[in-house]
Amino acid sequence: MNRYLPLAITALAILALATLFLVIAPGMQISAQGPSQGLKPYTEAEARGRAVYVSMGCLYCHSQQPRSLAQAPDAERGWGRASVAGDYAYDDPHQLGTMRTGPDLMDIGDRLPSQAWQLTHLYQPRAIASWSIMPAYPYLFEHKDKAGPDDVVVKLPAQYAPKSGVIVAKQDALDLVTYLQGMKRQYAPPKDGLRDNGYALIAEKQRDATDATTASN
Amino acid sequence: MTDKKPDPRRPDETFEPFEETRRIPWPVYSIAIALAIWGVIMLVQTSTAVEVADKTQKEVAKEDSTKLAQAAAPDLDAGKTLFADNCATCHGDAGEGVAGAFPPLHGSDVVKLGGAKAVTHIVMRGIGGKLNVNGDGYEGQMPAFGSVLSDTEISEIASYVATGLNDDAKTISAPEVADIRKVAGDKDPFDGGAGLAGLINDLPAQPNSEAADQGADSERVARLVGQGTDTVWACASCHGDKGEGIETVPRLAGLPAPYLAKQLHDFQRGTRFNDSMAYVAKGLSDREIGELANYYASMSSPSGAKPALQGDLKRGAQLAKQGDWSIGVPACFTCHGPSGVGVAPNFPGIAAQQPSYVAHQLAMWAGGSRHNSPLGLMAGIGKALNDSDRRAVADYLASLAPMPAMDKTELAAMESNIPVREGVDQ
Repeated sequence: MNRYLPLAITALAILALATLFLVIAPGMQISAQGPSQGLKPYTEAEARGRAVYVSMGCLYCHSQQPRSLAQAPDAERGWGRASVAGDYAYDDPHQLGTMRTGPDLMDIGDRLPSQAWQLTHLYQPRAIASWSIMPAYPYLFEHKDKAGPDDVVVKLPAQYAPKSGVIVAKQDALDLVTYLQGMKRQYAPPKDGLRDNGYALIAEKQRDATDATTASN
Repeated sequence: MTDKKPDPRRPDETFEPFEETRRIPWPVYSIAIALAIWGVIMLVQTSTAVEVADKTQKEVAKEDSTKLAQAAAPDLDAGKTLFADNCATCHGDAGEGVAGAFPPLHGSDVVKLGGAKAVTHIVMRGIGGKLNVNGDGYEGQMPAFGSVLSDTEISEIASYVATGLNDDAKTISAPEVADIRKVAGDKDPFDGGAGLAGLINDLPAQPNSEAADQGADSERVARLVGQGTDTVWACASCHGDKGEGIETVPRLAGLPAPYLAKQLHDFQRGTRFNDSMAYVAKGLSDREIGELANYYASMSSPSGAKPALQGDLKRGAQLAKQGDWSIGVPACFTCHGPSGVGVAPNFPGIAAQQPSYVAHQLAMWAGGSRHNSPLGLMAGIGKALNDSDRRAVADYLASLAPMPAMDKTELAAMESNIPVREGVDQ
């Protein structure tokens, strides 16, 4: 353990190389990508809703990164096309998530555009699906005797509705739903959109090969 | 370090016998260099792979726009191919039509008098009502192709119908089609021959138009669709204002009323599973279900679907038109009607249906979690199709023109057939 200098230099060089290829190079690649065409910046209400999304920790159970068809049948599940770097241009920090205890939410605004559905579901997921393991968020709502003129009343089945009065959504719930409704990524991805297409090309080649063998049989 | 006395019970931790004498062996260097070269090659290869995968979709869009830029004479050969793909299933390969069902285009008085321009209008908007062609009466149920064909494609089809199938000399160019689209693109389908008479001068006598009869129930249904009730969400909040659907939410516009009513009853009974729809159906009365079914059955709206699953459209077209007997799958169109417009009361239209919905439902038929089709027909088909076939056929159907709304008189005749909750499963 005498050659401290060469050892230190080698260690630093390895670290520098890793940083160059894993941090700096992708950083340059991504920063060259503008927002995808068709992606709108968040409105004020959506930005507030996004803050609620972050504070509720939705990220722990919901990802925001549909995979390409070669990796998972996300498109067939109706979760939308595979996302590209430009789709996250206005997200800082992004809410990619790693767990899929619940479904991916990148495209939820296209898939479930109904404000009323979202409010019912946030108030009590079991009102819609008895098997749902999503927590209920009653503290995003208030119980009122009578709805005011601007109140949004939550539609609830008798089993979960209060005995008297109505359940109305607080501002946080409305903002969160506005954010979810705005999660739309159905526009065409940019041509130079950065993403990991997995084994799409290989899969395509294999399919062509199978087609050729089927045809020759 | 040096002033510590060595402990006889423990060997010297810093003792490294080879360190000073041996150099790093050359295989280690060569492996490191080889790894680096391999890394660079992989980096280059993967980035080309991403480009190629992106190309297919984008290239198609680009080709379309370059085609549009060439305002030259329409390509009649392309028109013939497009005719075979889009029109021939009903009107016949040579435009001869089917007596009593689909009017002829070859030698048709409508085409003769109206020319390529009238054909463009009809292709774009479709027809929903009775009409006379060459003195014979037809039901008049033509899909609107405006939302699925480009201006260039419509110009090619219209020009082919006017000059290739008939002896008209005048073709129509893509910019002219674009002008027509600006004026008429988002209008409802022609109300049969009476509607066409406004477009074409000197058209022979046509049946009277059946004015849309909005019943007394319409206001209540509109509230159900637009606002929902205290417990049930508005239909339109997911299915769209025009019932065109989105992603896994199906298109409802123009589906047969008895089919729609049966599905709602099945959701209610639990013979078709979808938590959100079960919730909705349980909050609806039989009467409301009947009214809603009629509401959506009589709705005409443009296609809201486009291929989105990277399916093989050629394979999809093959499955839809011919089927594939090697896997025991009949053509979709044998039951769901020519061009997938649907055959009331049991077979819903599948043209312009959302691709994610179709692929998802086929997977559900295959897995057995949907099992409410007459005679279990769809279960066998769903099982025979593999994943890429499901995507292919779903994408192909999404590229088709939507079916027109049902005729009012037909609807009225069918109302008595709408099954009630305790009714026999069809």
